[in-house]
Formats: sequence, structure tokens, C-alpha cells
Amino acid sequence: MDPKKPPTLGITGFPSLGRGEGLQPQEPAVGRSRGLLLSAEGPGIGRARGFPTLGDPPHGRGVTLPITDPVFGRARGLLSQAGDSKVGVARGSTLPSLGPLHGQTPPHETTKQDLTDGTSALTRKEVETPTLVPGSALVSMFRGMGIEPPMTSWGRGTAPVGRGATGDSDDVKLQGAQGGVISSPERIGQLEEGMGRGNSFHGRGVSPQTMLGLGRAAMPPLGVGRGHALPTVLAGRVESVSPASEQQAAQHTQTSPTGTTAPVLTTQEVVLSAVAPAKMELKMEAVLKPPNYKVGTKGVPVTIGSNHIPIRCRNEAVYQYHVTFTPNVESMGMRFAMMKDHRSATGEVVAFDGSILFLPVKLNDVVVLKSVRRTDNEEITIKIQMTKILPPNSDLCIPFYNVVFRRVMKIIGLKLVGRNHYDPESAVVLGKHRLQVWPGYSTGIKRTDGGLYLNVDVSHKVLRNDSVLNVMNTLYQQSRENFQDECTKELIGNIIITRYNNNTYRIDAIEWDKSPKDTFTLMDGTKTTFVEYYSKNYGIAIKEMDQPLLMHRPKERSKPGGKQIITGEILLVPELSFMTGIPEKMRKDFRSMKDLNMHINVNGEQYTHSLKQLLKNISTNPESKKELSRWGLEIDSEMVVTTGRILPLETICLQSSSFTTGADGSWSREVVRDASINSIPLKIWAIFYPRRCAEQTEELVSTFNKVAGPIGMRLERPIRVELRDDRTETYVKSIHSQLANEPNMQLVVCIMVGNRDDLYSAIKKLCCVKSPIPSQAINVRTISQPMKLKSVTQKILLQMNCKLGGELWTVNVPLKQLMVVGVDVHHDTSKARQSVMGFVASVNSSLTRWYSRVTFQTPSEELIFGFRVCLLAALQKYYEVNHNLPEKIVVYRDGVSDGQLKMVEQYEIPQLIKCFETFPSYEPKLVFIVVQKRINTTLYSCAGNRIGVPPPGTVLDHTLTQNDWVDFFLLAHTSRQGSGLPTHYVCLYNTANLTPDHLQRLTYKMCHMYWNWPGTIRVPAPCKYAHKLAFLSGQYLHAEPAIQLSDKLYFL
Amino acid sequence: MDPIFSPPLHRQRHQFVIDFVKRRKPQKVLDLGCSECSLLKLLKFHREIELLVGMDIDGAKLKKRMHGLAPMLTDYLQPSDRQLRIELYQGSVTQRDARLRGFDLVTSIELIEHLTLPDVQRFSDVVFGYMTPGAVIVSTPNCEFNPLFPGNVGFRHHDHKFEWSRAEFESWALGVCLDYGYEVEFTGVGQPPPDQHQSIGFCSQIGVFHRLGGKGNNNNNVLFCEEAEDVLSYTLLYSKNYPSLHDNNILSRVLVMEVLSGADKLRRRWAEEEETGKRETGRWDYGSDPPRNADGEEEEEEEERHLEMEEKQRAMRILVQRQEVEDRKLFWKDGQGQQESCKVNRCVHIPLVVLWSRYPKVRALAGSIGNLRQHLMDHPDVTLSQDGLAVLLNNQEQEEEEEEEEHDDLDDSGYARGSVEPEEDWDADA
Repeated sequence: MDPKKPPTLGITGFPSLGRGEGLQPQEPAVGRSRGLLLSAEGPGIGRARGFPTLGDPPHGRGVTLPITDPVFGRARGLLSQAGDSKVGVARGSTLPSLGPLHGQTPPHETTKQDLTDGTSALTRKEVETPTLVPGSALVSMFRGMGIEPPMTSWGRGTAPVGRGATGDSDDVKLQGAQGGVISSPERIGQLEEGMGRGNSFHGRGVSPQTMLGLGRAAMPPLGVGRGHALPTVLAGRVESVSPASEQQAAQHTQTSPTGTTAPVLTTQEVVLSAVAPAKMELKMEAVLKPPNYKVGTKGVPVTIGSNHIPIRCRNEAVYQYHVTFTPNVESMGMRFAMMKDHRSATGEVVAFDGSILFLPVKLNDVVVLKSVRRTDNEEITIKIQMTKILPPNSDLCIPFYNVVFRRVMKIIGLKLVGRNHYDPESAVVLGKHRLQVWPGYSTGIKRTDGGLYLNVDVSHKVLRNDSVLNVMNTLYQQSRENFQDECTKELIGNIIITRYNNNTYRIDAIEWDKSPKDTFTLMDGTKTTFVEYYSKNYGIAIKEMDQPLLMHRPKERSKPGGKQIITGEILLVPELSFMTGIPEKMRKDFRSMKDLNMHINVNGEQYTHSLKQLLKNISTNPESKKELSRWGLEIDSEMVVTTGRILPLETICLQSSSFTTGADGSWSREVVRDASINSIPLKIWAIFYPRRCAEQTEELVSTFNKVAGPIGMRLERPIRVELRDDRTETYVKSIHSQLANEPNMQLVVCIMVGNRDDLYSAIKKLCCVKSPIPSQAINVRTISQPMKLKSVTQKILLQMNCKLGGELWTVNVPLKQLMVVGVDVHHDTSKARQSVMGFVASVNSSLTRWYSRVTFQTPSEELIFGFRVCLLAALQKYYEVNHNLPEKIVVYRDGVSDGQLKMVEQYEIPQLIKCFETFPSYEPKLVFIVVQKRINTTLYSCAGNRIGVPPPGTVLDHTLTQNDWVDFFLLAHTSRQGSGLPTHYVCLYNTANLTPDHLQRLTYKMCHMYWNWPGTIRVPAPCKYAHKLAFLSGQYLHAEPAIQLSDKLYFL
Repeated sequence: MDPIFSPPLHRQRHQFVIDFVKRRKPQKVLDLGCSECSLLKLLKFHREIELLVGMDIDGAKLKKRMHGLAPMLTDYLQPSDRQLRIELYQGSVTQRDARLRGFDLVTSIELIEHLTLPDVQRFSDVVFGYMTPGAVIVSTPNCEFNPLFPGNVGFRHHDHKFEWSRAEFESWALGVCLDYGYEVEFTGVGQPPPDQHQSIGFCSQIGVFHRLGGKGNNNNNVLFCEEAEDVLSYTLLYSKNYPSLHDNNILSRVLVMEVLSGADKLRRRWAEEEETGKRETGRWDYGSDPPRNADGEEEEEEEERHLEMEEKQRAMRILVQRQEVEDRKLFWKDGQGQQESCKVNRCVHIPLVVLWSRYPKVRALAGSIGNLRQHLMDHPDVTLSQDGLAVLLNNQEQEEEEEEEEHDDLDDSGYARGSVEPEEDWDADA
């Protein structure tokens, strides 16, 4: 563990690591350039950190940790030093001795490690002294190498690493004021250094930088190599992300030798040199110009408005400084206080995170200030050194602009609930349901291809008038026997707000054995009961002494690396907590939801009106204007208006007929008039119904026969099984015995009364897992209305055909040997269960046959593991069907947030490509598109003064798109209410070289292919299928469905 | 400096004020030199207070902190039955402002030592002579304690103009009492080591002043009237009324909610009973669990049972009544066959009397049946029967035609329906 001797330790550690990953060294895509780099000379190492999960995730990890333990020890040391601007040093010292290749990885690993590891403090001390001198050397070394601008930030750049860790340690107070700022270092780190520690790749980093990514912060020698490589990389950068990685890898390997020697040569140089290069590069950094390589041309132009308001920056620039404290000041609080004392020098407007300082004003290049440390009266020298001049709309500024804007929202009287702001004064009360709807906004400042925008979305918060205790009481009256179970079902996963602060908590558990009379320990070590505590601090008298307590387990990463890691659990008193969100029961009640939606769904007019109201409130409030002007921000008075395109209408092909879709993107009439592409004759099937539904069942069966002909279905009379009651066991037993009697049964139909989760779940478990057979559950209510029976029956019949393996319709996709894949993940809201990945892949050329799989992942497992298994199985299936493998594979991956894009690009995609090696000389083209439904972008059409919903097929691929990706917004579905919520598609990988037009049109075509709905839907059909599959498996089956069903859409 | 005390000294000072407030229950409280409003933030939870005012000379500081005094989110969900108004002023304690007169309690925590001595004189005159509050709490450092601080030289804070010994503080306080008609008791927070209490005293010394002759009965009252012309030297920076049931709109809103949710509960239950009642008549007598008021105001079991019976009879009557009055063609028990032909909306009558007797919360909120009716009549969400004696609810047992939802997946109907509203997930990418 001796930090001074890491090299040896590190080396010992590596061999074993290498083993673990030894499998993949050759594979180019492995992801971060780092990995590649290493693979050239010391393959195992890079791996160690990067891909613990590759081969066999759990193992990989288990192995790595113990062995590398010593390395961590050291690395940690380095890291924490980052806090003191001398960070670079630590590395410097170790690297030369280590030999660059080895050296790089350990620091890496540790970056992550450190964040969570509380013990780092110990090691830090040890490392401190030895590292000082070399550090400066390193920095200067870089200068010496003549590294390009991005590199120059290096000296400073190291700082964020440490800071990220420490920054968050500040107590709540600080965060309140500086919250955003504190969070900024993470981003900043990535942006400049591309070092994207841990999980938060912000997706902003330009590719070359990110390739260096993690590596860079931690591995100076590499950096050197990189320095050379940069120019070339830059050229290739924009267009092709993935190939670049290969190139880069090559370059790295070539240059790394230089790197190795370099440090030795330049060690003598002094810190001063760092200043000089910094000066040279202090030109305003250019903001990337909107690239046009993602813009398509197909379709009819349409004027589109969006909920984005341009922000003008009055300031010429924002200046970024690095602040060093000598001797070092550990306490962030102290650092803040000292900087605060020097407001006369910095001005009142500052964003400071502990070592990086942003100001709207330009100071001298180096400003030296003095402070006295109050604890020991030591004189501290504060050096503020300018490191960058940023354009005012730089990504780096966005975090603190957001902080500013949050203040503005507060100033105009809105309340923060969760992450959005609401106006309780304008609450709508739904008396009958005992809940309130608060209107409000979610806001965020973002920089897109079109510049800096304020993104505002109308949001509504549903809050309940009852405390959790009230809710529990009600539940108790409803069912005393199952009271605890019912409570768990109703409460777990719910978000509550408390009476004494405005915090929100998720209920993770109910502690039945605890009560408000129990004691807990305060910060100062004294013990107090909950009753006393609330009475003393808030004057609140708890009335019910026998209530259980609610438990919230904070996310472990919520305060990374902080001193006060909030581990453990937070206990809350039900009486003092209020429920938010729509009650589960109400969600299922159609009519109540209608009441609610009346208030929540706003039409385009109302939507824009409420946005304008917000803008007006901001602009007419002098305080809020002042707040914004501190950073020179000015919010436009109008929302952005631009031009989108409406993609051409598609042609839907049935068995022998075809037609063009209507402008409303719906073909419910056509689809029941003519025969589907392929109908499976239904010969042996059974229908189960309770006695009271006999009449409806009879009606249903006879209607089936009437409507089957035109659709092209042939069906025999079903085996009718009348159940004496509608208990779950009765259903299950009867189905079971029928299946045993009739092994050739094709389909099970169940008529049920009411929404019965337990019954539904039991039937599906039986038919999807235990005795695999397609099954159709029908709520008797849907077939009880004679007027609608015909159309309902038609739809059920189509659905049954799908479940049997039939094919309904298709659209023409002019790509040969194509496989389209959809992936979605279902997370259990109560977090009690595992996440489930649904995977669906097309296996024929008309994209009408689908192969589906499900995998359950444990929290520690990465999704990609199951993904690979599924993809391999799908490829095999494709081969079985077509006797060849697909040439092009298009993956639509749902459920990836912006922050995870980088991870998917650098880790998931390479892993996927790795699958192809399973087949000899198989190198298909891959297109990987991330599908994001939950975004805050809305689009509306503005024809004249009329504000409406844009028609289906509206696409927008500029202005609001992201700078770093090939992305577009597509509104494929017809939305009957509210405003147009487009889906955001980000193309992360495209070796098929599909043009933007092709990407957009393919996606739109796929939105036509969901057979459960005769019209276009929001996401490509495979995504929707994957979603349904994951939902069914996660919510009702709790197990993987039987493999026998995998070639049918049994989950519809 | 504070660390040597536990809890920290500033907390102890605040706790001292809070304890005083709990004991004396002043309605109007003013905190002079409220600075970061930390004391106000604590006091606002004590709803004995109806007017809570802070004043400080540093307006910028107030502006920065004032939003923290806004009502809690839950204050909107369950409005208190006590009213509370919070105001913040920017101004100087050496100047008069008519708006700050007549408070029950004025606190001046660690304030006077920041004033020059002549200003202290003006402070005394303004606070005791002009504002004439019922009680004043003044705290200031006790300089005799200072030697106990390690390495501390001079004053405890660089802005302190003086730090008084106990004798100095007491002489000032007694002078004030004499001049303005108050009595004072001395105490403090921050215990010295046990053996030194006599020689040193508390770290922060506190004087608690009470106006002689009680509230509203003294010679100052005369002055009050004489100088009634408004002196408004302070700037009002913040003013917020907390939602409370004193606000008639809010009362109405809460009452209507209680009535509607209560009425709906009854309607559901009656409908249920009717269904089961058809089959098992026995249930009429025993009944299921009473829909006890969720807020758990206890009532005698017996009484509850009794009420229960009574209501059922009433419910019967109501059903009959509806049959007769509402819609002669419809019969509750087998209206099914005719429902399609009839376009009249079927309604359920919930007599106000039932609601009144059934829900203590409704009683508490409304005060009288007349009031209740008044509130309900004025509210757009409520439909009363023509005679104003009952709430009308649409009977929802007959499901109307529902428009097909977008992407309505038939199977598995109900289960598969895409939720209309985006699901909430506050933690999604926190």
C-alpha cells in the first residue's frame, strides 16, 4: 500500500487482470481509446479498468478488485491531490518508473474508486510530499511538447478530478447557493479534458478528446503521445465517430513511445512555463458551428415552433480561472469563505467550485491575494490565474446559468418540487379524489446546434391532500387482513414531501417495527425521539404514536466522495409526509383519469400561452432581470420558430392490396377490410369464462366468425370452458387441464371481470412460462357494448393472429438483408425487482417476423451482457430463416439518457460488434440509434396565427439538435391532445452510411409497423414491442418467458 | 468560537426565543437585525404566531434569504387553521416606523453590540419608547466570558462596537426599564465551567423585558394615538400570507374537497351495498366497515354504530326519493334495461345532514349547516339539489361510452393501456 512504490504493486496486479480480459485485446472497438492503446503493448491492463464486465462481468470484477487493491491505494492518493492544483505531479512521479503503459490504467481505475471511497484520506497524506515536484514537471512537459490548445488546459485540467470529488462534500448550505456550480466540475472536467469520470459523460466532448477520455486525466505520458496525434484526429473527428477510434488507437500506439521518453527529458522544466503557453492560447474558443451533415432534404417544408426560447449573451466572454491556495486549504468551506472575502477583487458575480472560478469580468492574468486562515492564523496565498476565455454560450457556462435560472424561478414565486417549479397558488383541486394539480414548468438551459436556448416545458404536479398516515388509515379500513401487503404495494416507490422541509423522498421500505417514539442520533451525537425532535425543532406535535416509519435509502452516489456521505437510511414519519403523484387506484380508473387529464393535458394554445406567461413574469420582474443580467443573459420574448419537414406518406401493404396512409396516420378501416399478409388458421383453441359472462362470450364467438372472413382468418369453433366462479385458481386449473387434454392447443382466450392484476398475472405466468401457449385476456367490459362489439372483435382477432405468428401488414423498406432490432428496459418502480430488457429483432426481409428475447439483469450486471446473448440468438434465428446473415443491422435502443450516450457509444456498441466474430468472416454494417421519448422538447405547427399539433411525419434535424451527435426529432404519431411530443433519435453508430434522409425515413417507416395499433406510433415498432415484452415480463411474469414462444408476438 | 458549546451558541439563543414563544404564545413577533432570517425560519413553524416580521439594515442580505421564508409545499396541501403573515423590512433600528408598533414580542439577538453607544440610546428609544412591544428579548455578548476563549483577543467579531460586562448590560437595561416602564429579568445562554458561573456568567447575556401594566394598558398608549401619523421609514421587501383556513377561499376549497370526497365515498358504499344487498339482505343490518373519517377523529363505537344505522335508513329514503323525484322512469334496482333509452343523467342525493353528521371534519370546517350550504352554493364544483339540502353526484355506476384511447391495446385491456400522462420519475437521471 505504500504509495511510493506503486509500480511494483501495479505490475503484480496486472498479469492477473490481463488474464481476465485477455480475450478481447485485438478487438478494436473495445471502447475508450485507452483500452486500445494499451492493447498494443500491455493488453491486459487497459482492460482492467475499462471493461470489467466484458467477458464475464461478475467475475471480472471480483478478480480485479482484490488484486489491484494496492494500485488503488496509490491512485487514490493521486486523485485526491487533484484538489490541490499539484495533482499532475503525483502521476508524474509514478509514471516514469512504471513505464507509461502500466501507469495509465491504475490512476484511471482509481478515479472512480476514489469517488466512493471514504478511506482515501488516509492514503492521500502519504502521497502528498513526494509528488509535489514532479507535478510541475509534468505540466511543463506538456508545454514543452508543444501541445495544442486543448492540451494547455491540462495543468488546470487535473484539478477538476479532485474537485469533483471534494466539491460535493460540502454541506447542504453551500450546495444551496452553489449547487449548480459544484456540479459543474464534473462536466467541466469532461468537456475540456474529456476525462468523463465515472458515469457522467456529458455527451459533449468532441470525439477525439473523449477517446482519450478517461485516460487523459490520469495518464500524462499518453497525453504526450496524444499531443502529436491530435491534428490528424481532429480532421477525422466530426463525421465518423467509430472509425476514428481505430485511427486514434493506431496513432496512440505509435506515439506512445515518445510519450515514454518525454517525461524524463522534460522533468526539469518549471511551473512558470505553464503560464506562458496558457497566455498564448487565451483566445476565445470557438463554438462549433452547426454541422449540416445531419440535415435531410426529403419532404415538404413546414413552419415549426418549439418550446425553446433563444438566450442572448450580452457579455463578451466568460473568463475561467484556476485558483490555488498556498499552503493548501483542504476545507471547501474555507476556500469559499476566503474567496468571498475577496469579492472586491473578483466582483460580486462569481461561480466558484473550490478551484475553478468563472467570472464575467477579466482580471489580470495572475492575481495574487492574501487571506488569513482563521483556524491557525496562517497566511494563505490565493493565486487566481486565468486559464481560458470562453464564449458566453460555452457548454462550461451552462451549469451555472442553470443555477441562475433556478433562482429566477424562485424570485417569480414558483416552488421547487423535485426538479421542476410549480405554482401552488394556482392549484386546481380535485375534491372527489382529494388531490391537487399544480401547474408549473420544467426548465433548463441548453446549447444546441442553433445556439443557447431556454427550454421550457409545461409540467403539472399531482399532490395529494392526505398525509401518508391518512392513506394508510384508508387502506386499513379497506382490508385489515392484508393491510401490510396493501400498504407496501400502494406506498413503495412513491415520492413524498415532508411537512417541515420541502424535500422529496422516495419510499423504499416501511419499517413496521419502528414508531415515532423510537430514537435516532443527531449530528452532534445526542439521541432524541422523533416525537421530541419534531416538536422541538418545528413545533409539530405528532399525534399518532403507533404509526410505522417510512424508509428512504438515498442513492449512494448522491454525494460522491463527500465528507458527509449520506449512507444508510432516512426515516420519515407518515403523519408528516404527503403523497405525490397519481394514486395507483385512480390510474386504473378511466373516469377519474379523465377528470385529471382535463387539467393536465393542455392544447397548443394553452401551452404556448402558459409559456408566454412565464416569459412575461420573468421580464416584468426587475429582480429576475437583474439576476439574469449578472451573467449578461437576456431571454428573448418569443419562442423559436424554424422550418421542419413533413416526410412523405407511406404505403401500407396487406396480402394483396395496398394503400397510402391518410394524413392522420391511421388505417383502422382498411386493415379490417382486406386480408392480412399471413393468417394462421385457428383450429384448436379454448375460451375460458366465468358463468356470469356466458352471454358476452357467446356474442363474442359469434362475432368472431362474422368478422374473420374479410381479415383472412379461418377459425374453428373454440372449446368453451365455463368456470363456476372467477377465482384465480379456477382459471389456472381449468386452463391447465385443458392444455393437458389437448396438446395441440393453439390459443387460450380468457374472459375476465374487472381489472385483476393477480388473475392476469397468473394466467400469463401459466401461458408464457410454464405451459407456453399464446394467450389472449379480454376484460368483459370491452365486449359488453353491443355497439362497439364488431370493431372490438376485429381488433382482438388481429391481435390473436399476431400472437399465433401471423403477419398483418408491412411497409416497403428498400434495404436488402436488413435486420431491425428494438431494445427497451423496464425498471420496476419500487426497485424491488430486477430490471428487464426486452429484445426484439426482425428475421425476414419484409420485417414481418419477429424474434424476441427477455433478460433479467441484476443491479451489478450490465445490460450489454444480455444484449449480446439476445443478438447472437437473433442472428442464428435469422440464419435459420434466410440461410444467410443480415448485411445491415439497425438497432433502435430505447431507455438511454443523454448522460449515458457516451457509455453506449464507447462500451455497448463495441461489445455488440464483438458478437459478429462468432460467425466466420462476418462483418455486417451496423446502425445504432438511441430512441428518447422522455424529452422536454415539444413542437407545434404555426400556420398563420393558429397554433396546432404538427402532422405525423414531422421531422426536425437542425437548430434544436445536439452539437455532438447526428440526431433528429421525429413526430410520428397523431397526438389528439396537447402539443406535439416528438421522439428524439440519436444515431451513435452508422457504418451502413445511411444518409440523414434514410435514417429519418427508415425510422418513420418503422413507426408504421406496430400491429397492435392501425396507425403510426411514437417509437419504431421494434422498440414498442420490446417495451411491451419487457413490461409483461417485469410486471407480471417475473421470469423469462419460454423460448418456444420467441418467434411469435405472444406479448402483445 | 461556538464549537465549545453544544448545541452551538447561536442555536441556544434561538432555542431560548422559541421556548419563550412556546410559553408566552405571542401573536405578533418582530425580530430586529434578522440578518439571514435563521430565527424567523424557526419561528414560522410555531403557529401561535400570526404576524412574524423581520427587520435588518442589510436589504441585499434579506433579499437573498427571503425566499426561504415562503410557505412549505405542504402548507398548501393542508392549510393551517391559524393564519400567518411574514413580512421583511429593510431599515434601521434607530429610526421609527409605525408599522412595527404594538408587537407582542420584539427580539434583538446579538444586535446592540453592533451599534455605537449613541445609537444604542436611539435604539432604546425606538424599541421601548416607540414600538412599545409587550415583551423584548435582548441578547448581547458578555465580555467577562471572553477570557475563556482560547487565543481570543479583543471583541468576538470585528464589527462589534462594544462588548458589555454583566454590570454594564444590567445598568443599561435597568435604565431602559425606568425610562419606558418595563421590568427586566436577566439570564443567558452558554454555560461557563460550573465553578465559574458566579464570577463569569453566561457567554451570551440575555435581558427579557416585560412592559409594566400589561398589554394595551399604559401611558404609552396615549403616545400611540398622538403620533398616529404614519412614519414609514422602512422599506417593505417581502410580505407573504400563509395559506390558512382564515382565507375564505381556501376554507371553501378545503370544505368542498371534504364534502365531495366524503359524498363520493358514501355514494360508492351505497351502491355497493345495494348490489350486495340484493343478494344477501343480511348485510343491511350488519354493514361493512363504516367509512370512518380518515383523519381519525375518534367517536364512540356505539355512537358510530348508531349513526351507521340511521344513515342506512336515510340512504334508503334517498333512494326512494330519487326514484320519485329524479326520474320516474328509472328504477334503481333494474334500471339497466332502460338506461339506454333514457338520456337524463341519473344523480345520487347526498343530504347535507348526512355529511354533517358523518364527517367531523366537515363540521369543524363549516361551523354550521347553514354555513356549509352557503359555501357549497357558491362553489362551481358542487351541484346542490334545488332545495339546497343535498349534494347531487352523478351516478357513475353506469359506465358511459369511453372514447378509445390512443394506442389502446385491446388485450389484456386495461393492463395494456398506455398511460396518458408521462410517468413520473424524479430519480430518472438525478
